[in-house]
Amino acid sequence: MTSTLLEEVPPPRLTPVAGVNEALQRRRARPGGRVYAALRWAGATIFAAVVVGLVVSLLTSSSQAFAHSGIGFFWSGTYSPSKDQYPTGVFIVGTLVTTAVAVALAVPIGIATAAFLSEVAPRWIATPLSIAVDLIAAVPSIVVGLWGLLVLSPAFAHHVEPFLKTVPVVEWLFHGTALGPSMLLAGVVLAVMILPTIVALSRAATASVDVADREAARALGGTRWQVIRTAVVPGARTGIEAAVFLAIGRAMGETIAVAMVIGNSYTIPHSLLSPGSTLGSAIINNFGEANPGLDRASVMGLVVVLLVITALVNVGGQLLLRSRTRTAGTRP
Amino acid sequence: MHLPVVTGPSRRGACGPRHHRRVRGSVPVLGLALAALLVASCSSTPAASKKNPPKATTTTVTTPSATSTTAAAPAATTTTAAHAATPTTANAATAAPAAHTAATLASACSTTGGALSATCDTQSPSLQLTGAGANSIQPFFARAFYYFNQADHGVSVNYSPAGSSVGVSDIEQNTVQFGDSEIPIKTPASGTGGNILQIPVDLGGVALSYDVPGLSGGLKLDGPTLAGIFLGKITTWNDPAIAALNPGTSLPSTKIVAVHRADSSGPGYDLDQYLIDTAGTAWTSSAAGSTPSTKWPITNVGVGEQLNTGVASFIQQTQGAIGYVEYAYALQASFTNAAIENQAGAFVTPSQTSIADAGAQASNLSGSNFNIIDGPGSATYPLANFSWTLLYQKQSNTTLGVVLGKLFDWVTTTGQDQAKALGYSPLPANVVTLAHQTLLQLESSSGKALFS
Repeated sequence: MTSTLLEEVPPPRLTPVAGVNEALQRRRARPGGRVYAALRWAGATIFAAVVVGLVVSLLTSSSQAFAHSGIGFFWSGTYSPSKDQYPTGVFIVGTLVTTAVAVALAVPIGIATAAFLSEVAPRWIATPLSIAVDLIAAVPSIVVGLWGLLVLSPAFAHHVEPFLKTVPVVEWLFHGTALGPSMLLAGVVLAVMILPTIVALSRAATASVDVADREAARALGGTRWQVIRTAVVPGARTGIEAAVFLAIGRAMGETIAVAMVIGNSYTIPHSLLSPGSTLGSAIINNFGEANPGLDRASVMGLVVVLLVITALVNVGGQLLLRSRTRTAGTRP
Repeated sequence: MHLPVVTGPSRRGACGPRHHRRVRGSVPVLGLALAALLVASCSSTPAASKKNPPKATTTTVTTPSATSTTAAAPAATTTTAAHAATPTTANAATAAPAAHTAATLASACSTTGGALSATCDTQSPSLQLTGAGANSIQPFFARAFYYFNQADHGVSVNYSPAGSSVGVSDIEQNTVQFGDSEIPIKTPASGTGGNILQIPVDLGGVALSYDVPGLSGGLKLDGPTLAGIFLGKITTWNDPAIAALNPGTSLPSTKIVAVHRADSSGPGYDLDQYLIDTAGTAWTSSAAGSTPSTKWPITNVGVGEQLNTGVASFIQQTQGAIGYVEYAYALQASFTNAAIENQAGAFVTPSQTSIADAGAQASNLSGSNFNIIDGPGSATYPLANFSWTLLYQKQSNTTLGVVLGKLFDWVTTTGQDQAKALGYSPLPANVVTLAHQTLLQLESSSGKALFS
């Protein structure tokens, strides 16, 4: 029996075995606890200081841009540092569109993979497959970007995009020239990058659904698919939603991989095949040689906008999750 | 051409006087980390640190993500932690008079005159130099610094190709020993370390490469047509404007996809300058304006790709694409390049010879007079430029100043062979002289000339 357990046990009625009390006292007297507490405080303080410092330095370094353009910083104009114009609106649209494409692709695939891994797949498939998913998570974004640029981009230009233009109904999303670099390709690359997050977290969520729920569904004569649909996925819903919000955050903030495949055109896209630009890609393309002063402040302004949007998504997600948990808690 | 040494620089322990690097304000944490690294790597004795021979030239290939941080150059330094301490002595020398503890090797050079082939050069104090700047010169620098290290094992150079304006701002803030920029600083150039010397170190050109099926070569383009293409006004390859310049060539009706650099670039600046000079109001009345910019001005037409490599791979993949790349890159990728109309009205394709011709007509080059775009001469390629290395005139660390002087004297003379091998054109003789004369102005902190 470990000593932690001993501490939780109610006061013994019987006399403890000789030496146990002494051992417990020795344990409490060790200085390790105090050091640990100090470390905890130091860690928390440093973390808080880093966050506050980050926000303060971002705001101060971008203040010139907001002072110059006011609220107009958030939209229109051609990007032209020499004319003090920064089309933040174009970048926001690009960010939202590419993220939407990524989520639309990655969420169904991710949840299906997670359900397959935890419910259907025999162990000899599930183990290597989940290792493979984790491996994708470990691939640095520059590598995904290079793969998108050198492999996916020509494949999209010559095969995928021409094909999509021939699919009835959805082809209105895909008019224009098939170039390769496009909002679509950026969304696909982002989907690859957020897939592991969704799979890993959703799998943990589905695996933690109460066995009793599954058994109940099965007892009612449910097929395997019905069990997944009526018991597993609803039970894991909170976890899956958390996974999706994390994934959205990552998709919005991605820079280099997107910059390599999106085509970096500063226009409002009229089709998913148009080249476009996101906040992240615009930041990375313009920061390197932004001149000190308004030019650099404007790029920092883009950083602030990105931070605000991701923060909004995160807070929104938290609120949604909290309301769900509360509802779930009141359930009998 | 060699620079004899005048004053006797002294050998200083690699971890001698310490000095906290200037790290830009927004990243004090990085500064602390760097300081910790320095302390850690210097806590051993100088003798111990000598056990680590300097690495063969390390050229940090910075990913674009690194280029986006102001701290790119300091970050590059920390990648070679063991040597990170050495460059800081550059800024440290003012703190204390040179330590004469090991004043043997370099001072021996001073009495014999510091010719690079002389034995003393192979015994240069071991130094790791840090530089940052233009991306277009990266292939040349990587190769040149490697060969310099072969000739002089003591000196290794860490160059971060983060972009021209990073090179300028890093040298102005004295965080690197040298910067490099496709566009020099307007004279008089100065930074926190005083007057900045600007040395032309290579001669490159900008190729307009294309991939048009059914058009194998011989495409001719002039300023107004190029402007039309990059403004999105000329959209197919058989446009009348292109056909008029290429009589007898069968042009396909393929759509034109113009690709520009998404990041700032020297080649973009050069093409912008050429279009301002030759395309008239069609270009200058657009968003481009009449001041050339490293940031490509027309961002809503065609596709933007990162760095020379991104543009090159897009041209390779896309039928109907045309874009601008540093000639050395176009040569490596075996691209078909358009012949561009020069000032004399002739259409010239980029080549080492035609770019050398452009360089040859340069006279009185300086930080304010560096433009060799659209130069005279019927065989001159109109899109050529020099790349400029930026150094402080007053070198607070004499040892380092001497090494820097020798390094760039070598780069502009013997090292030009390496440029030639990569497709850059060798510097014309008058520019080599200019570089040499400029390097002779290097001074110690007390104002004494380092070379005679």
